[in-house]
Amino acid sequence: MMRTIEILLVIIIITGAFIIASLFAVLPSPRQVSPLNIRRLALTTLQTLDGDYDLSATVFKANDDPAWAQLQIALSACLPPNMVYNLTVYEVQGGGQLYTVIKSISNAESLGVSSDAASSLVASSNVTFSVTPEKIGGSQGGGVTLYILNCSDSYGWWITGYTAQSLAGDLYRLLSPYFGTTVMVQNTTQLGQILNGTAIQGETVQNAVVINTVGEAVPIPSGYYASTGVGYDSSHTSYARYCYVLGTKVRAFNWTWASIVGYPLYYVSNAGLFPNDQNDWGIYGMKQVGPAGLNAFLQGIDGQDYTYNGNWITDETGVVYLSSDASYYCNYYGIYPSPYQTATRALPDSILTAYHLSVTSYIFNKVSNWIAGAVYRNAYQGSFLALGLTRTPDIRLTGLGLLCAYKPRLYRSEYTVNGTSRLVVLQLGQAGGV
Amino acid sequence: MTASTIDHLVSVTVFLAAILLFISLFNQTIQTAILYQRHRHLATACSDLLDNMLLNPGYPLDWGKTNSTPTSFGLQDPEFTQYRLSPFSLMRLQSLTGTPFTYPRTGVTYSNMSIGFGNFLFVPYTEAINYSTAAQLLGTNNTYGFQLTITPIVTVSVEETHAEDPLTLVVNVAGTGSPLSNAEVSYCFLKVADKGGQKNPSYTSLFGTTSTDGEGSAVLNIQDVDADNAYVFIAYAHMSGLVGIGYHERVTGYKEYVLPLIDSFEDRRVLLVHSYNVHDFGPPESSVFFNATFVLLTEDFTLREMPMENSTGKLGKVVYGQGTEKTYQNLTIPTYNPGILIVTYQSNNEYGVVLMPWGISSMAVPVTFGSTYPLDKEWVVTDIRQVIVNGIAYQARLSLWSLKGYGVIS
Repeated sequence: MMRTIEILLVIIIITGAFIIASLFAVLPSPRQVSPLNIRRLALTTLQTLDGDYDLSATVFKANDDPAWAQLQIALSACLPPNMVYNLTVYEVQGGGQLYTVIKSISNAESLGVSSDAASSLVASSNVTFSVTPEKIGGSQGGGVTLYILNCSDSYGWWITGYTAQSLAGDLYRLLSPYFGTTVMVQNTTQLGQILNGTAIQGETVQNAVVINTVGEAVPIPSGYYASTGVGYDSSHTSYARYCYVLGTKVRAFNWTWASIVGYPLYYVSNAGLFPNDQNDWGIYGMKQVGPAGLNAFLQGIDGQDYTYNGNWITDETGVVYLSSDASYYCNYYGIYPSPYQTATRALPDSILTAYHLSVTSYIFNKVSNWIAGAVYRNAYQGSFLALGLTRTPDIRLTGLGLLCAYKPRLYRSEYTVNGTSRLVVLQLGQAGGV
Repeated sequence: MTASTIDHLVSVTVFLAAILLFISLFNQTIQTAILYQRHRHLATACSDLLDNMLLNPGYPLDWGKTNSTPTSFGLQDPEFTQYRLSPFSLMRLQSLTGTPFTYPRTGVTYSNMSIGFGNFLFVPYTEAINYSTAAQLLGTNNTYGFQLTITPIVTVSVEETHAEDPLTLVVNVAGTGSPLSNAEVSYCFLKVADKGGQKNPSYTSLFGTTSTDGEGSAVLNIQDVDADNAYVFIAYAHMSGLVGIGYHERVTGYKEYVLPLIDSFEDRRVLLVHSYNVHDFGPPESSVFFNATFVLLTEDFTLREMPMENSTGKLGKVVYGQGTEKTYQNLTIPTYNPGILIVTYQSNNEYGVVLMPWGISSMAVPVTFGSTYPLDKEWVVTDIRQVIVNGIAYQARLSLWSLKGYGVIS
């Protein structure tokens, strides 16, 4: 008998456990089992009503305007019959209270046991939102000068598919809003002029940014800068010395020199100076300098004495990816080049110590000891942007690199200024059932 | 000893019976919980899949305007963001509802998206995307079954209440939930001119606007229309961002008419064929002469006729016979902007008009795509979105079910 009593006790305990477990294991309501995504429905309803900006126009009208009644009719017409809604419009304002209710329309007193909402910020058609860029160096005067080398007497290399003139035009449109003055350097004579420190249009030569649009080549002025002992190294029959001069000018004027693609300063280009010479690839008006050009330039920027050095210093790193900084500034400035590129002329990080350079901004993530794209700054002064990518160049990367380095601010019109924006919240619930 | 044994036997028996009972009870609770989770998962998958279809244009981006099969499935209009769908991508979906037919002259089978006599839309199977292709591209084959329905939110119905002098048409505008009162209505009226003989018909057109009353109705009186005139009436209604379209035709004969069949999306080419190739009504088998035109819905919601050059093939005739005469004609639509191809025709003193949408939105064609509803599945979930197709408000509804059995279902 004892065993039976014990078993009955066990049954009572298990029954109790089952009852208690059942009390806690609350089954969901039928609506929760397979819910309609009401939030998405609300959002798409707002987007549909604002498809032709009718919603934006209506919410800025007076509260007694017939357009509100039409909005309510449209709302009722486009939602399924079992939907109850509440549409509330808020004025967005600064100061203490951010949102003030303007109007609310609804087709039921209550939204039932569960509801969800979506919101949309709509702008008044009477307001124009604008973006004003800060001028680089604007705090020290009229802003920095941007020189775009658009030399009609210089041919390009590794800008396949483009002309230097088209790239210059694109750069002008992309970057000129950020600079105090933008000067198109139209020929090598004008280039010689700024190398002498003389302004072309009354602009400030000091602290300028110079973008070379002819790719791996660099324009060289005839005359003084191409002469022996200045730009020409007669002992090595090379114009590497001209690249050295460029480096010294970058240092002297605190310029930022930008190379848009490939191996920087690999050729010198002047159609008048080299009418019978070609760059070893059949392009006349150009002479090959080879790796000695970049080495000489780096010597110049670091204030070292000129020594001819023809050693190849770049390497192929394959696919490289935009750095996190560059990705961030893509969104900030609205410039969206492809986030991955192919680098065949990445520079070694050993140049940082050899020429007293520091990286002010990485355009691409470093791959091992190789830097595919970055802006370097000498410890004294003068900067150098190098994009060691394969052809053809994406000029947006140059723009992005410079903006990453200087970080000019964008002053945007505030969407929260009184009277410019209103917040529309559509709350939906399902009528009937549980 | 005997009592102890009996006690033992009774207790063990009762214990085993109780254990079996409780296992059954707990099992039911667990089964319900698992089913709940499965159903929730299916609902989430349905919402995700619907967004996946509606928020990406697929690849190539303009696959709706080409004859190629996309390598990625999506219905978003590549020129827009948000829930705006391409009217041409939707047109290339193989319809689940219409009865397909094969045109014997070319041997091509067509997906039938027509909405009644005179409002034809036939897309060749070779260029229509079928369910299995879409399921493979979406990664749902053998996992989920689905049916996608795209229906216009605003319904514009047109009813003829008086046949002549004046012709009276009542336009009713309603949404899914209620009628649209005070909606603006813009319309286009094309009347086929009786010319008789073996000639291409001509037509006169009339454009205008009106608005609906408190019950969503508008009454239009059109002069100079006789009871035996053939005509077509197309009306767009719009209010507070909602736009809908309706149409109505009157023809004087239903036997010999012109049937438009899409031949190439890429080349915007349409075949115009004789109706006897579809329905053989017996003799006489007269030639059908036609005159085609194309109308667009402009940004200010008015309808505008787009001129078509003769080289597009807008004038011609089609025959049923197998002789030397061409049995069908090619017609090139002059633009990729959505609009309506209007073909007026005459044969044996029978006159009429047929319409074909170029982009489903221009005639608010509903689309049903996917698989038929399964009868053996215990759970089908649905989700809906409001979408815009070239300015016309539609509702997209996706029904989804799992193709895998649930172990907890007996």
